[in-house]
Amino acid sequence: MLQTSGSSQSTPLLQLKDVHMQFGRLAALSNIDLTVRKGEIYSIIGPNGAGKTVMMNCINGLYRPQQGDIYFKGSRINHLRPYHRANLGISRTFQKIELFGGMSVMDNIRLGRHIYLRSGVLSGSFFLGKAKREEIETRRIIEEEIIDLLEIQHIRDKTVGMLPYGEQKRVELGRALAMDPELLILDEPLAGLNLEEVEDMVRFIMDVNQEERWRVTCILVEHDMGVVMDISDRVYVMSFGRQITEGTPAEVQQDPEVIKAYLGEEDIYATRK
Amino acid sequence: MSRVWLPCGHYHQSYAKDQGWWQTPVIKLKMLLLLGIVLLGVPLLLPGYWVGVCTIIGYTAMGALGVQLLIGYTELITLGHGAFIAVGAYTSTMLVLHFPWPEVLVDLGLAYPLSIVVAGLFAGIWSVIFGLPTIRVKGFYFILTTIAAQFITVDLILTQYVSKIGGRAQSIKIPSDAAKIGPWTMSGDVKPYLLMAVLLILMVMVTANLLRTKRGRAWMAIRDNDVAASTMGINVFYHKLLAFFVAGAMAGVAGAFWVSNTSAMSPEHFPWFLSLKLVGVILIGGIGSIHGAILGAAFWVLVGEFLQMGVLPLADYWPNVLMSFTFLKTAFFGLIICAFLNFEPHGLAYRWWQIKNYFNLWPFSY
Repeated sequence: MLQTSGSSQSTPLLQLKDVHMQFGRLAALSNIDLTVRKGEIYSIIGPNGAGKTVMMNCINGLYRPQQGDIYFKGSRINHLRPYHRANLGISRTFQKIELFGGMSVMDNIRLGRHIYLRSGVLSGSFFLGKAKREEIETRRIIEEEIIDLLEIQHIRDKTVGMLPYGEQKRVELGRALAMDPELLILDEPLAGLNLEEVEDMVRFIMDVNQEERWRVTCILVEHDMGVVMDISDRVYVMSFGRQITEGTPAEVQQDPEVIKAYLGEEDIYATRK
Repeated sequence: MSRVWLPCGHYHQSYAKDQGWWQTPVIKLKMLLLLGIVLLGVPLLLPGYWVGVCTIIGYTAMGALGVQLLIGYTELITLGHGAFIAVGAYTSTMLVLHFPWPEVLVDLGLAYPLSIVVAGLFAGIWSVIFGLPTIRVKGFYFILTTIAAQFITVDLILTQYVSKIGGRAQSIKIPSDAAKIGPWTMSGDVKPYLLMAVLLILMVMVTANLLRTKRGRAWMAIRDNDVAASTMGINVFYHKLLAFFVAGAMAGVAGAFWVSNTSAMSPEHFPWFLSLKLVGVILIGGIGSIHGAILGAAFWVLVGEFLQMGVLPLADYWPNVLMSFTFLKTAFFGLIICAFLNFEPHGLAYRWWQIKNYFNLWPFSY
């Protein structure tokens, strides 16, 4: 939010420096520089195929950029694998829902707590002291903090694959939150939702960003401009793998380059006439 | 809300209770009854031959449980699980027959139980070696490497080298007093059966517990979506190897058990068909279910038995039938698997679940 401006403390949490990523001869990302500060909602927008998801995959470790550095909390993370980055506190949701379809909602969210569980195979196989205590504590945290926040009590024992799309999106957010992340990457969390679900989802995002319990820094990749302009602290606009501009929502909206990227160039239409 | 049907008006008041295994007295009673039937009813009431059949069911189920873990829960399709059973069986045989056990251990009857543990560990490690290709290969290519496990282990190492230890060409004779646990020598029908029952119960317990804790959930996550699993902080490769270790260890224990139920150990006990059979068992029983492994094993062995009983009287009229029975049986099982894939793709476990649900609400179905 502009008014509350949680980003006033300007510690950088995530930094991309001169990141370059190429598939064959297609440059998906070129010369990307950006800094996400602690506590803010940082939105990334751009037309389809601009390279937003590729950038998220680079931050998350699913892709490795050919060039450039990615810093998280001050240390370079280029060489780390995705599961290692998850341990550092980077969590994400996906554009195309990537839940564990055959498992219950509860188990999906429990998987988000995987990095906090310490019991080994032996205590696990006999459900001895430590494993048992840990499982019950995990259950408590999930029930009281995540399921309660996301209002999904009624579906917690259902198999995820059977749920409607909107609820799956919510479960995916729950799973990402269960990791207690410092940085939450939301890749199109609102795509395909109806108006009511969009309102709910935006409320959840603002909750986890602002509530004392969470204080999660969010990177939001989204096409719904109304929402992006309303809730973002800063907006990064890209097109064809390049930065167009960066700034507060108000600044971005005025930028002629942005308007050009979204609406096309006027003279093209002029020549067609 | 619980996964279990509670009587009207009853609620759990702690998470511990809600996650318990046996949540209501009725369930507890049912489970104790089942335990009673398995441990007392079968050995006391059934004739010796059928106790032997139950032992085979259990042996098959122990193997199938490991395959279930790999195929049903981690989606690492394996067509070479028989190899790890063979590794367990041979490790145990070699240890019992050739290892210089201290006199005390032999007198106390601990040699064989210890060999079961070692066989489990060794088969687990052996299985991890063949799981290593998972870091690069997936799907069909990986299935091929598991087939390689079968042929390298059984057809090359066991047949060509291990079987020749002790001078005999093919099978290794196991003296009837070799498998001794405490004061009991594993002979006759009942004692191996009881050993099988205890091992199977332990294995089911371990599997079920693993599946509701960290490691088991990680396996299922890998099965459903390995990319998402890695972003959840799961080290996919490590967990795949762990699945191989646990499944291999189970196979090893099953193989070590086989020592007590046979008088000669031969590579012919672990043909490639055994590996295929275990996959067939879980296809019939239901993929992704512990019940499935046991129900499938029971189905497979019992159908085989009944088939044999049905065929014997025919021998008077059609003498060839006994000669070709092995092939007929295999063909019949092939048909059964096809039928199951078409008409009951979720297997017997799903049917069992439906029956249970029906009776939970009976006689008022809604």
